Amino acid sequence: MARVELVNVSKRYGDVIIVPGADLEIKDNEFIVFVGPSGCGKSTILRMIAGLEPISGGEIHIGDRVVNNVSPKSRNVAMVFQNYALYPHMTVRDNMGFSLKMAKRSKSEIDEAVNRAAEVLELGQLLDRKPSELSGGQRQRVAMGRAIVRQPDVFLFDEPLSNLDAQLRTQMRRELKKLHMKLATTTIYVTHDQIEAMTLASRIVILKDGEIQQVGTPVEVFEKPANVFVAQFIGNPPMNILEGIFETSGGSPVVRAGGSVFPVPEGRVPDLAGGAPVLVGLRPDSIKMGENVERLPKEWWCRGEVVVSEILGGQSLLEIVVDDNELIAEVEGRIEAQPGETVPIGFEFDRMVLFDPETTKAIS
Amino acid sequence: MKNSLAKLLFVVAAIAVFGAFPVQAASNLSGDLEIFSWWAGDEGPALEALIDIYKKENPNVKVINATVTGGSGVNAKSVLKTRMLGGNPPDSFQVHAGQELIGTWVKADRMEDLTPIFKANGWMEAFPKGLIKLIGTDKGIWSVPVNIHRSNVMWFIPANLKKWGIEAPRTWGEFFAVADGLKAKGIVPLALAQNWTANHLWESVALASLGADKWDALWAGDLAFDSPEGVKVWELFGKVLKYTNTDAPSLSWQQATDMVVDGRAAFNIMGDWAAGYMNTTKKLAPGTGFGWSASPDTTGAFMFLADSFCLPKGAPHRDNAVAWLEVLGSREGSDTFNPIKGSISARLDSDLSKYNAYGQSAATDFGKDHIVGSLAHGVTANEGFMNDFASVMEMFLKSKNAQAAAKAAQQIAVKNGIAK
Amino acid sequence: MREVSRDRIKAFITLLPSVVLIGVFVYGFIGNTVWISMTDWRGGAALSENPVKNFIGMQNYVELFSGFLDGRFRQDLVNAVYYSVLLLVGAVGIGMFIAILLDRKPRGEDFLRTVFLYPMSLSFIVTGTIWRWLLAPQGGVNLLPTYLGGKALDFQWLSSMKTVLLFDWQNLFPILLYLAAFVLILLGLGKLRRDPSRAFKHYLVPGVVLGAVVWLFGDLLPRALFMEEEHGFNLATLGIILATIWQYSGYTMALYLAGFNGISQDLMDAARLDGASDFDYYMHVAIPMLKPITISAVIILSHISLKMFDLIFAMTGPDNAATGHPALDMYLTTFRANDFAKGAAIAIVLFLVAGTFIIPYLVTSYRQRRNAR
Repeated sequence: MARVELVNVSKRYGDVIIVPGADLEIKDNEFIVFVGPSGCGKSTILRMIAGLEPISGGEIHIGDRVVNNVSPKSRNVAMVFQNYALYPHMTVRDNMGFSLKMAKRSKSEIDEAVNRAAEVLELGQLLDRKPSELSGGQRQRVAMGRAIVRQPDVFLFDEPLSNLDAQLRTQMRRELKKLHMKLATTTIYVTHDQIEAMTLASRIVILKDGEIQQVGTPVEVFEKPANVFVAQFIGNPPMNILEGIFETSGGSPVVRAGGSVFPVPEGRVPDLAGGAPVLVGLRPDSIKMGENVERLPKEWWCRGEVVVSEILGGQSLLEIVVDDNELIAEVEGRIEAQPGETVPIGFEFDRMVLFDPETTKAIS
Repeated sequence: MKNSLAKLLFVVAAIAVFGAFPVQAASNLSGDLEIFSWWAGDEGPALEALIDIYKKENPNVKVINATVTGGSGVNAKSVLKTRMLGGNPPDSFQVHAGQELIGTWVKADRMEDLTPIFKANGWMEAFPKGLIKLIGTDKGIWSVPVNIHRSNVMWFIPANLKKWGIEAPRTWGEFFAVADGLKAKGIVPLALAQNWTANHLWESVALASLGADKWDALWAGDLAFDSPEGVKVWELFGKVLKYTNTDAPSLSWQQATDMVVDGRAAFNIMGDWAAGYMNTTKKLAPGTGFGWSASPDTTGAFMFLADSFCLPKGAPHRDNAVAWLEVLGSREGSDTFNPIKGSISARLDSDLSKYNAYGQSAATDFGKDHIVGSLAHGVTANEGFMNDFASVMEMFLKSKNAQAAAKAAQQIAVKNGIAK
Repeated sequence: MREVSRDRIKAFITLLPSVVLIGVFVYGFIGNTVWISMTDWRGGAALSENPVKNFIGMQNYVELFSGFLDGRFRQDLVNAVYYSVLLLVGAVGIGMFIAILLDRKPRGEDFLRTVFLYPMSLSFIVTGTIWRWLLAPQGGVNLLPTYLGGKALDFQWLSSMKTVLLFDWQNLFPILLYLAAFVLILLGLGKLRRDPSRAFKHYLVPGVVLGAVVWLFGDLLPRALFMEEEHGFNLATLGIILATIWQYSGYTMALYLAGFNGISQDLMDAARLDGASDFDYYMHVAIPMLKPITISAVIILSHISLKMFDLIFAMTGPDNAATGHPALDMYLTTFRANDFAKGAAIAIVLFLVAGTFIIPYLVTSYRQRRNAR
């Protein structure tokens, strides 16, 4: 149990810069998820924390120590790998007890620790099997068991669920969450799957090209993305982004985008002169249809033409054209609209996000 | 078999009818003649000279000179076995005269008796009686010897002996008398090489210990190997071995000779191909540059080995092969071949002026000495005995137990049909 | 159904030629050799057109193992054991060690790999000739200390007559029984941790009892020979073993290096995080994981050591009994001494020894494949 802090940590291979310099503070017992597209440097940062990859600059603190020059085994971290990395020639019991054996613990101590971990993970029946005799989910559990046995200060997970099928992934995700609640250990989890990030994390770290884009709770990064990248990476379908011009004419501030005029609600009015170009971000689920429209203030109503509509069980996904602006809407209930039909819609403009078109950063 | 016997009878009849078989008839021969031997390299030119004579006499015969290289014919012998057993014998093949041929191929009834050829060419008188006895059995004569090598020769460098103030010993007693002195000077008294040269040394020692008559008796089965005389041979041999170099098993016979030439060793007992080596390769003149004598206690005995050619049953070009054997046995052929090869002629009437000093001395001894056969080179014993004897020798070199070695030698002699 | 049976017929027809050829040229000839080994086909008349062969049962084998004249064969057999054991230990150990060094990815790894692998591409005759020069008493290896200012060695690598670890063939039976007891005790100790009661019942107790019985009553066992015959480890074989190890350690290196490279980076990382040092990683993870490679290396090397012929021929010659080998003895007995029957018997003994190595291997790999299915 320990906090982890990265101070301007960088990684270069020759002239190639993988991570230019990352600063991050992870609190004790936090469940931090690194998320980003492949090649964003999230695994590299994880491996640098583990000590498997030397750092090119900066400092890494685990607990009260600077661990830059501490070998992996002395950092007291445990890692679960994407392909489980179980020792194929050892039984489950030996796999789980290996780290303690290396630490020269007594046999009874090892047995006790292994049995306890096996109980937590319900692996009791499998202790004498070899990894090749286990299913994917079981192997994943053994890999976690191996990490638990050592009682590390920090758990590191490197895309641990991506080799499992969808159903098992959901189930394991839930188990992981329960496990974290039970063990209350600082956890750093790397994934490219934003759903895993949203469901598991106490805080999410979004990475792109080795740089941290935003750090925040799942709701924060969803509702208040720091930039266009985050806005589009988090959330599925991604946020609608429209080009527009900010205007203050007529007293109330509006954004003119294509033929539409969107009122900017109070609290969201940017500190900009009239006529400044902006990008408008609207979450697909901030668009309402049917009876939900009527719950919104009238000035947030308008009409849109349906291009395509898809019904996803309890929700519907529609492509709508509003005054030449193409928008994706994710709405409650089954909306049975014909293509070409014009329907009334409403916007939750209080969830609108404005971005600077040059820096793509959010304008507060 | 019947067929070949009939052929043989026919030939014998033809010889009887036409009387003079050789030159006139030969000139009409045509077709191929395949000669199988292991004579390539240094020995190649001597063989070529013989083939030239043959070609002159038989211009229509195409000679195929099939050689398989490898010292002492190790490889040639296995190729020959394959061909003979496969029913594809060469017209004539090289073989060590004596039991190496008799014990293997004559016993297997695959050779033709050459007695008619010997008689027709007057060779019964031309070759020494002792030699004819050793290359034949009571059923016939089996090969035509082309050369004679002597096994029991001791080699030394006269200048070196003078320097050390000693003379070549004539008996083993004399040898032991000088050997300790040499050893004290750091000189190896007797140079020895890898295993077969130990066998070679053994036969000279045995001949010294037993004498020529008992040596003959040994191989005739009249004297047991484990008799008191037989045990004495091993005892003497063990004593001699104490004066040899310790690294012997890793040396070739040439390297052992080099030790003598370089003055690292005083003496070496080796066959007279050593004379050719010292003369040609080391550029030493026989008599002055290097010297020789019969190995200790064997003066008056000539332990020989001979290369010979023979006639397998079913030879595809039998007439051509017979003509080939006649060239080999002739005085002209013999005196052409041997000076080049560095050996002496098996014939008693050879032209000594064609040979060097060593050859002349050896030829003189050959004419007057008691001729005995060599064991190490296949005259007196068959291949089975020779192979087993190598094991007995190994055992002795390791244990130095004369009694056990003599017993073992007797056992293998019984097993291989030499002793009764 | 018809489809299936037609498939079967096709398969049968396709396989038929190789089944027939292997049947005749492998098993047929093995059978023929067994038959010859039970006859008296030898001696002068052995090469005649229709040699006489009389059935004499196991006599050739009895002679090989207890006949006075076949001491050489027995020494050769002992040599073969030492050749095998030392070649295995040497080539596997050194090959593994070099592979570990190269697995650390030193500079010039590619080049070094080729250097170490190169000896394997030489023929035994070439290797033998090179090493005969290197091991000459006054040259090569013996001169090495002089470059460091020391005195030249005078060890006779190929011609030493010294023998160590002597045992008396007369006592063959007690020795074999001691060996069995030793193996049982060893196995028992190995299993002690897992299953103590079974280990005691099946291995330890019988092993100790057997050892004690032989020790107490060993004199009652029949003697294999009527006289003492000492065999042991001839020091002259060291040179040959050295050359063989030189030739084959590159091969085991290549096997292990390929194996090491096949271990995923994650597994290595996992071991490092679990607290394994480099030594621990190889000792507990990498090498145990490559057990199949070790097994095939052992099988391949042991059958090579059973076929040793040309190297010995080139290095110490056919008649140096101290360095002899059954394969060489077989050749000389058969083709030089014309003793076809005994040569065949030696061949069959070699065949059976090779079988004891390979059959268990085939059985386990067959079982594994069936289990995997």
